[in-house]
Amino acid sequence: MSEPFRRVDDRIIVDIPLTLREWLAAMARTTAGDAVDISTSTHHRLLGPIDPTVDHDDPLTQLHRQMTVEGSLGRFIATHMHESLSEDDAEEWIRAFQLMLAAFSAERAIMTAEDRDNLSQQDHYDLITLQSGVALMIEALDS
Amino acid sequence: MTEFGTDLLERTDTMLDVPWEVILWDDPVSLISLVVRVIKKVFNYDTAKAERLTMQVHHEGKAVVWSGDKETAAAYCVALHSYALGATIQRSQ
Repeated sequence: MSEPFRRVDDRIIVDIPLTLREWLAAMARTTAGDAVDISTSTHHRLLGPIDPTVDHDDPLTQLHRQMTVEGSLGRFIATHMHESLSEDDAEEWIRAFQLMLAAFSAERAIMTAEDRDNLSQQDHYDLITLQSGVALMIEALDS
Repeated sequence: MTEFGTDLLERTDTMLDVPWEVILWDDPVSLISLVVRVIKKVFNYDTAKAERLTMQVHHEGKAVVWSGDKETAAAYCVALHSYALGATIQRSQ
């Protein structure tokens, strides 16, 4: 079985099925939409204030954080069909996987290891898929 | 200057001296290897320190990963958030 991500010189080769790429891109689009919708758990998880004693970050910090989230997810969506990635894009994939994981856990109210262990079989499979993406991309990028 | 004004200035000076902390919170979905890597990358800590802090987060639910001035604490916190890690800032207790 081939490795999903492997380094060749300064590029990361991506060898994952089309269906998985499309599933990840759809999840990235959903996460990006939910992140800017203040009624969602995803928004509060990804863009809640960094100082919990105040209601909102200062406007510049808020804008910077929102642009960072949109930038990572947007970069992932733009490159999700690529056969190889630059190191910078591979790093953005790690960020995007993490943002999707955080949104996934926020929408399912996963607060503890017990919550995580009680997921449905499908949700558990999806969680493992995202975590594997993080682990395997780190392995490739840091090799 | 009134006594009230002097007290206020002293209190303000004291508050300015209190460092801010970056708190990293445990979450049940981020991998330990990812957390170690991000701590190393954001704070430029060595592997041993990053692993110690990560295990403190994992076992105790949170850890102070940096302390100093508020502006830098906020910047570090935002950098942790760019990897969707749960982090907040607070005045040192």
